[in-house]
Amino acid sequence: MKINQEEREKTSRKCSSVVDGNFEEVPRETAIQFKPPLYRQRYQFVKNLVDQHEPKKVADLGCGDTSLLRLLKVNPCIELLVGVDINEDKLRWRGDSLAPFMGDFLKPRDLNLTIILYHGSVVERDSRLLGFDLITCIELIEHLDSGDLARFPEVVFGYLSPSMIVISTPNSEFNPLFPSVTLRDSDHKFEWTRMEFQTWALYVANRYDYSVEFTGVGEPPAGAENVGYCTQIGIFQKNGGRATEACVSEQHDQHVYKAVFTTSYPSLQQERFFKLVLVNEVSQQVESLRVSHLPRRKEQDGEQGDKPKDIGGSKAPVPCFGPVFTEVEKAKIENSPKPFCVGDKFFVPLQRLLAYPRLNRLCANEEMMRSVIADSIPLSSDGSAVVTDLCNYFDEQFEF
Amino acid sequence: MSGRARVKARGIARSPSATEVGRTQASPLPTSVDLSNNEASSSNGFLGTSRISTNDKYGISSGDAGSTSMERGVKNKQDFMDLSICTREKLAHVRDCKTGSSGIPVKLVTNLFNLDFPQDWQLYQYHVTYVPDLASRRLRIALLYSHSELSNKAKAFDGAILFLSQKLEEKITELSSETQRGETIKMTITLKRELPSSSPVCIQVFNIIFRKLSLWPGFAISVSYFESKLLFSADVSYKVLRNETVLEFMTALCRRTGLTCFTQTCEKQLIGLIVLTRYNNRTYSIDDIDWSVKPTHTFQKRDGTEITYVDYYKQQYDITVSDLNQPMLVSLLKRKRNDNSEARLAHLIPELCFLTGLTDQATSDFQLMKAVAEKTRLPPSGRQQRLARLVDNIQRNTNARFELETWGLHFGSQISLTGRVVPSEKILMQDHICQPVSAADWSKDVRTCKILNARSLNTWLILCSDRTEYVAESFLNCLRRVAGSMGFNVDYPKIIKVQENPAAFVRAVQQYVDPDVQLVMCILPSNQKTYYDSIKKYLSSDCPVPSQCVLARTLNKQGMMMSIATKIAMQMTCKLGGELWAVEIPLKSLMVVGIDVCKDALSKDVMVVGCVASVNPGITRWFSRCILQRTMTDVADCLKVFMTGALNKWYKYNHDLPARIIVYRAGVGDGQLKTLVDYEVPQLLSSVAESSSNTSSRLSVIVVRKKCMPRFFTEMNRTVQNPPIGTVVDSEATRNEWYDFYLISQVACRGTVSPTYYNVIYDDNGLKPDHMQRLTFKLCHLYYNWPGIVSVPAPCQYAHKLTFLVAQSIHKEPSLELANHLFYL
Repeated sequence: MKINQEEREKTSRKCSSVVDGNFEEVPRETAIQFKPPLYRQRYQFVKNLVDQHEPKKVADLGCGDTSLLRLLKVNPCIELLVGVDINEDKLRWRGDSLAPFMGDFLKPRDLNLTIILYHGSVVERDSRLLGFDLITCIELIEHLDSGDLARFPEVVFGYLSPSMIVISTPNSEFNPLFPSVTLRDSDHKFEWTRMEFQTWALYVANRYDYSVEFTGVGEPPAGAENVGYCTQIGIFQKNGGRATEACVSEQHDQHVYKAVFTTSYPSLQQERFFKLVLVNEVSQQVESLRVSHLPRRKEQDGEQGDKPKDIGGSKAPVPCFGPVFTEVEKAKIENSPKPFCVGDKFFVPLQRLLAYPRLNRLCANEEMMRSVIADSIPLSSDGSAVVTDLCNYFDEQFEF
Repeated sequence: MSGRARVKARGIARSPSATEVGRTQASPLPTSVDLSNNEASSSNGFLGTSRISTNDKYGISSGDAGSTSMERGVKNKQDFMDLSICTREKLAHVRDCKTGSSGIPVKLVTNLFNLDFPQDWQLYQYHVTYVPDLASRRLRIALLYSHSELSNKAKAFDGAILFLSQKLEEKITELSSETQRGETIKMTITLKRELPSSSPVCIQVFNIIFRKLSLWPGFAISVSYFESKLLFSADVSYKVLRNETVLEFMTALCRRTGLTCFTQTCEKQLIGLIVLTRYNNRTYSIDDIDWSVKPTHTFQKRDGTEITYVDYYKQQYDITVSDLNQPMLVSLLKRKRNDNSEARLAHLIPELCFLTGLTDQATSDFQLMKAVAEKTRLPPSGRQQRLARLVDNIQRNTNARFELETWGLHFGSQISLTGRVVPSEKILMQDHICQPVSAADWSKDVRTCKILNARSLNTWLILCSDRTEYVAESFLNCLRRVAGSMGFNVDYPKIIKVQENPAAFVRAVQQYVDPDVQLVMCILPSNQKTYYDSIKKYLSSDCPVPSQCVLARTLNKQGMMMSIATKIAMQMTCKLGGELWAVEIPLKSLMVVGIDVCKDALSKDVMVVGCVASVNPGITRWFSRCILQRTMTDVADCLKVFMTGALNKWYKYNHDLPARIIVYRAGVGDGQLKTLVDYEVPQLLSSVAESSSNTSSRLSVIVVRKKCMPRFFTEMNRTVQNPPIGTVVDSEATRNEWYDFYLISQVACRGTVSPTYYNVIYDDNGLKPDHMQRLTFKLCHLYYNWPGIVSVPAPCQYAHKLTFLVAQSIHKEPSLELANHLFYL
């Protein structure tokens, strides 16, 4: 009995990272070890492709345990991420791990993101997968029997017809380098040589008007370079660019797949999260300006001096952090209206706030900022500045 | 010392915290349950602490959900430790029956659910070995799970120990699998034991099964064995997450402190806090800050390659680290298995970590806390709705149902039970017996009554500033008027005007307090903590005189003057040794004791132990003492010192020793029960025995817990409501091995009332359960800071108030000269 190929690759992860705490035991030595493991190299390959082409709608056919989707969901350009698999159980169990984290609510993405998992077969047509920018089929085709393999191009290339398709599959020429020479997984129906794959790919590309490039991951060991990559990859790009929206809408709705899991991420495109982020950023900026106003005032009053000047215990290098501004940003801040005090009130003009890059990135103009924060943060009577008490109870509470 | 080295040093030097101390001192405790030497430990409960650490390698986990269930396993483990302490069997009078019978029966709905399974249900525990041996746990699991003999069975496997709900045909099963590389691995599955559903191991496996279903975001769930059966409990839970990264916190702190003492302050503020990482949603505790490592430095990845932190987060999570100068947070990772390898460290980037929990600043912001409470306090009806939805989820989710069914489990109905409402208490005033309209607040009922006993206040001081002099004068008039009607004579004080700063107040106190001064009142110009702390510190220990601090702002509240003056007059009476009210105590010579423990706010390794004992049969006068200690055994020792002192006091006032002593012990963490039974009870017993040459007092020790899993609701007018004050539950939701009960002695205006849980761990008083419950209820009426019932017996509440004052403000032991007064109210 054999264990699944991917499972095996995952067992041979090395561990010495101090970042995540997600440790695995050091595996037994295997004849050929890929660093990073091969499945990761494949995922990283797709991720790099996404970084490069910035697709908005991405689908992974045969998504399995959704590892690739989890890797891709952090990509800021993606707005719709879809996984399709025939194993419904796996999808259900893995769904939750794709849901937004708590941190995603506090630091929302810029753009909306929806993730949907469908239960269904890649050789069935579902109109909800039309109009995608990228469809990936990672280690998928070798699991299809001859009938399904024949239908596959017609559905993926002919019907779904995305701008780009990535197909990866084992390169059987590499197999002799493994201790056992049979298929890499008991469920594989075939494993192709480079020639077999490329012949198939070129035929399909030609038929559905795509161009194709070949590459791979998993470098062969020294001395065996002639066998090629362990995993061969074909990148198909549709000639004539993106599918036109018109052509998509003309299609009949055809819902064959069953949606098993759907989630949408908070983003700055949603009003309540935009407000949350803006109010939080404004409060923090105002607070930081307020606090930096305090000691200066104290010096003027001559009250400074009773603070202990003890540095004895600390041998650590003096930390310096906080936002670093470029000269242009500095000048912009310097030239904006300054915060000021009237009595025991402290005012920060909205124009000043807009000069800070983090706020400027969120908010284009004063009017917009005012309307969003007005019911959460006290403003001066003319609405041009945020107003707060210069001193509060906790300034003195902070005892060191 | 490098950051790394410092962490190690800290890790070793750190003295046990309140939650850890229950683990006995000598034997190292495993982080996971021992399952490997079960033959030895199965007979006497499941936890043979001393044996566990040596040869066990694996804890229970559930397949690939390894690490999370493991962490939870640790928490459960502590509960299980408590469960193995069977105290009831030693108490002859409750061995057969521990339930009371008085009071009016009341039907209650709970947040507990039946878990049904066949009567002969058993869990089979197997041990799996591999030849040749495999180091990788993942590979071990994958090989075993892929086998057809096991693929369709319900199972939990951690790489060595396998749990099945169905027995394999043979006692020893031999399987073999071939790895990818054609290597043949022989697996031997040996039956180790058959566990009944009540076994602690079983309960732990149940907990893992249920958590693995992860159907309950927002619920705290657990499975445990209650009175006669296994129950599933669920309660709505909240986690507070701050919209502030650690970096933002550090930057703000740096701006406040300046650079000179920043690093120290920062470490002091951050170490020990829990953070949540933005990219993978995990929580870590901050154990150190490494100021020498920056995000631009490299670390070694799993595959051995070096990468900078900045690049790693960009590649892995598409996160751009914006501040390249920030230091690294260091977190000691929990060891998954109990091997002897070095603890691992994780470096975390402050910018990517959110702080959890509320700040001191937030908790002292009344408006904010009110808003938090409104969000988090669900009324009983809301809670019931959420529970109904949960049950619905479980029943509709085919996967969950299937998973449970393969284990032979069925998620059953919500438990209803019958509680009793004990009779309400009369409040005894000097010349009046009052039956309050509501036990929640009887201030209106006793407004015109004289308090039991007050000492005249003749020589006293008021300290106030120029600005507050006027308000002080008008308050004084009001105070004298209400005090007079209470029967508390207040003469005109000496009013001293001081400058508005904490040092000036302390200087004035030093200057004007002489031995004749009975009390010092300070009208504080602001609620700056230093005013309160420095005055309390000086007057509680350096120069012990009762003191009363009042915020000027409080006195300015229009229309509130009378009720404020009444409250302050009551506190002042108590601080002078007066008595406000009483309840009827049927036992003639009973001393009640309250003990609470908390950590000092400044030095977290110091434990503040507050002890309060009644010194008269009416239970209206108290002896209070607070002792600072470093370890749990020291706590037990200092209890002896305290008890001896309290018994001497009793003897002095009553010319005899109390016939009975009942100790209410609060501040007990999970897993500490054993320490209490093994150390504290013997210490208390020996101090009682040593105080008397002939017959010694009879002793009961009751553990009081304000936090417990069960919630109770009554159904009224077609909705669920909080049960009435005085509701006692002593069946079904209790534990068979303990003499325990729940008592509801508070009202919750908003939200769901939490019952207080009482566990009588030692009792040679032999009181009937009925009497024990009613006495406990009576004692909840005797807290003089509030004219109404409180959630725990008064001695516990006093002990809590005392430890709070010491832990927050004084940080040293208050003078014994004040021990006869409730000086800390």
